[in-house]
Amino acid sequence: MIEVKYFGAVAEKTQCSFENVVSSNISLQDLLQDLEEKYRFESLSFSVAVNQKIVSKATNYTLKTSDIVALLPPFAGG
Amino acid sequence: MNTSSRYNRQVILSEIGENGQYKLLKSKVLIIGAGGLGTAILPYLAAAGVGEIGIVDDDVVELSNLQRQVIYKSSSVAKYKVDEAKAMIAELNPDVKVNAVAEKLSGKNAIALFEKYDIIVDATDNLQIKYLINDACQVTNKPMVYGSIFRFQGQVSVFNYQNGPTYRCLYPDENSSSVNCTDAGVIGISVGIIGLLQANEVIKMILETGEILSGKILVYNILNNEQQKYDFEKNSSFLIDKIVFEKKYKIVENIVNEIDAEAVLNEMDSEEILFLDVRNENERPKINFKNKIQIPLMNLENELEKLNSTQTIYVYCQSGIRSKMAVELLQKHQFKNIKSIVGGALALKELLKGERIKI
Repeated sequence: MIEVKYFGAVAEKTQCSFENVVSSNISLQDLLQDLEEKYRFESLSFSVAVNQKIVSKATNYTLKTSDIVALLPPFAGG
Repeated sequence: MNTSSRYNRQVILSEIGENGQYKLLKSKVLIIGAGGLGTAILPYLAAAGVGEIGIVDDDVVELSNLQRQVIYKSSSVAKYKVDEAKAMIAELNPDVKVNAVAEKLSGKNAIALFEKYDIIVDATDNLQIKYLINDACQVTNKPMVYGSIFRFQGQVSVFNYQNGPTYRCLYPDENSSSVNCTDAGVIGISVGIIGLLQANEVIKMILETGEILSGKILVYNILNNEQQKYDFEKNSSFLIDKIVFEKKYKIVENIVNEIDAEAVLNEMDSEEILFLDVRNENERPKINFKNKIQIPLMNLENELEKLNSTQTIYVYCQSGIRSKMAVELLQKHQFKNIKSIVGGALALKELLKGERIKI
């Protein structure tokens, strides 16, 4: 199981602050593709972290079951 | 140094001491935005004795600000935020010099403003201006203390600290959108907490103590008190230098290079510099430079072959107007090291007091 955390406006779209994705051998790119299809983030931009480290969305990384992915959009309030 | 009893409770901290207090009093911090974050940061920096604080904001106080911008009073409504903030700090701590800048930050004023301070604090509420602050911090080589809010969540980080990662390394997509407090709603406590975390980073940088949130973004959720730090790395493809900055923010490129008449006095006998008089033959006073040539402005374009495009050339005329036009013309023809003497021959005559002058 891979844990996916959502923040800010992304969490508003997903209507949850985290969820567990049951997949094995899925690449980060494919996971993001699946989430995009499910939630339609569209113009909402965000950075992606794997295990507390921001990574390139285009990275060729195959997620492990213990990985924690986070979607971090920029905030603008102040 | 008289730190008196005002700072006693922090001076007795071994991390601060007299030396740390001296650093605080010597430091200069610029806060962009006098809204929720800015008004949380400002009184704490001022109370701690940060010696000089600039505040940039062109807004006036509105009634709907008061629920979170707690330094303003009901009687502040309709007055400039920066003026109200300055008055508040004057009462809180007269040691602090406050510079109230009632302007909107733009590509035109950012660089000159940032150069006067050691640390730049982003307390703004829109994404475009965060990119501007980031870029101007890179050009001026200043650290940027970032904070922002989305409802009950906040982010804090320090960019461009000792050549560390920048806002663009974290969020490369400049065209993204995110709602601000006006549209999303916010409670004063969120901006208060995030603003104080920013103030804390400022103080740590000045004192050179603790760990700075450089290359890390802190995400705080006040509803469940969860906080996480995420690491990110520097990406050199997002480097912004002065040329890129000026192009991006469309600052007028035709800045005419000028030199003060006073600065010219020591160089009148220089072999390296050619003094170009663009007045007509009959104009007086004549000035005796070691290395000089006269080409009237109207002939200049046709007589460029008399000049070397890589040589340092100081151009002058009677008062400094034609020489500016000459500089623009020469720059168009790829001349590299051209300056116009401010005030022209008349200014030089004044300074030379009759020496080397033929009237």
